[in-house]
Amino acid sequence: MTPLHFSYHSAFIISIMGLSLHRTHLISTLLCLESMMLSLFIALTMWPTQLQIPSLMLTPMLMLSFSACEAGMGLSLLVASSRTHGSDQLQNLNLLQC
Amino acid sequence: MMYFAFLFGFCFVFWMVGVSCNPSPYYGVLSLVIGAAFGCGLLVSMGGSFVSVVLFLIYLGGMLVIFAYSSALVEEPYPAAWGNRGGMIYVVSYVLVIVGYGAMCYWLWSMEGYGSVTIDAGGLFVVRLDFSGVAWFYYFGSWLFLIAGWGLLLTLFVVMELVRGLSCGVLRPI
Repeated sequence: MTPLHFSYHSAFIISIMGLSLHRTHLISTLLCLESMMLSLFIALTMWPTQLQIPSLMLTPMLMLSFSACEAGMGLSLLVASSRTHGSDQLQNLNLLQC
Repeated sequence: MMYFAFLFGFCFVFWMVGVSCNPSPYYGVLSLVIGAAFGCGLLVSMGGSFVSVVLFLIYLGGMLVIFAYSSALVEEPYPAAWGNRGGMIYVVSYVLVIVGYGAMCYWLWSMEGYGSVTIDAGGLFVVRLDFSGVAWFYYFGSWLFLIAGWGLLLTLFVVMELVRGLSCGVLRPI
């Protein structure tokens, strides 16, 4: 592994840890999701660059467009939960709590 | 010069740590913007100017601007700042995770050297690798292009249905 690969590997690990250990706000979770998508984009771009295969450059473009879909979906869920619960605090999302 | 790109990688990881342990979403969005800028620098240092520009336009200029506006939904009268809070343990633990992972890579899998091939490694062409690669979308990948566009249009309608609210939306007031 080279230091360039280590950078996006560790960024992905830190982002997925931040996604699972978020504390108060839903939007912090969505931000960690976006940083995961960023590290995946960098990984998918380094792959055709190192192997010198031009046609694999389609994958980061496709991934970026679908991550835009996912970000829009997450933000609309944030807006909807902010409309029903008043804020995006995670302690308010307790319908399944016994 | 070879280690200059490693600096971009280091700053990228540093700001991703800032995103993961943000005290308040305002600082999280800012950290993500600066981290994405350093990620673009990482891609440019390998020669991928086109994918870096696409990342800047679509990711920073499209998605993160929307995130910055949506952070206005976070209604905190006194947002927390860096330092002087109970979340500092997260910062320390994330840094320890990176250091531990780096030590594991160095001693178990021999992470050393630079070993990066840039985009011009096949020789000097008129069109570089990232430009010519994305142009495949319009030739062999035309059906993929159409399906991805169809998916994006579908996402627009799904989002409109999700935020409709009132009595006929997905999430409604109790």
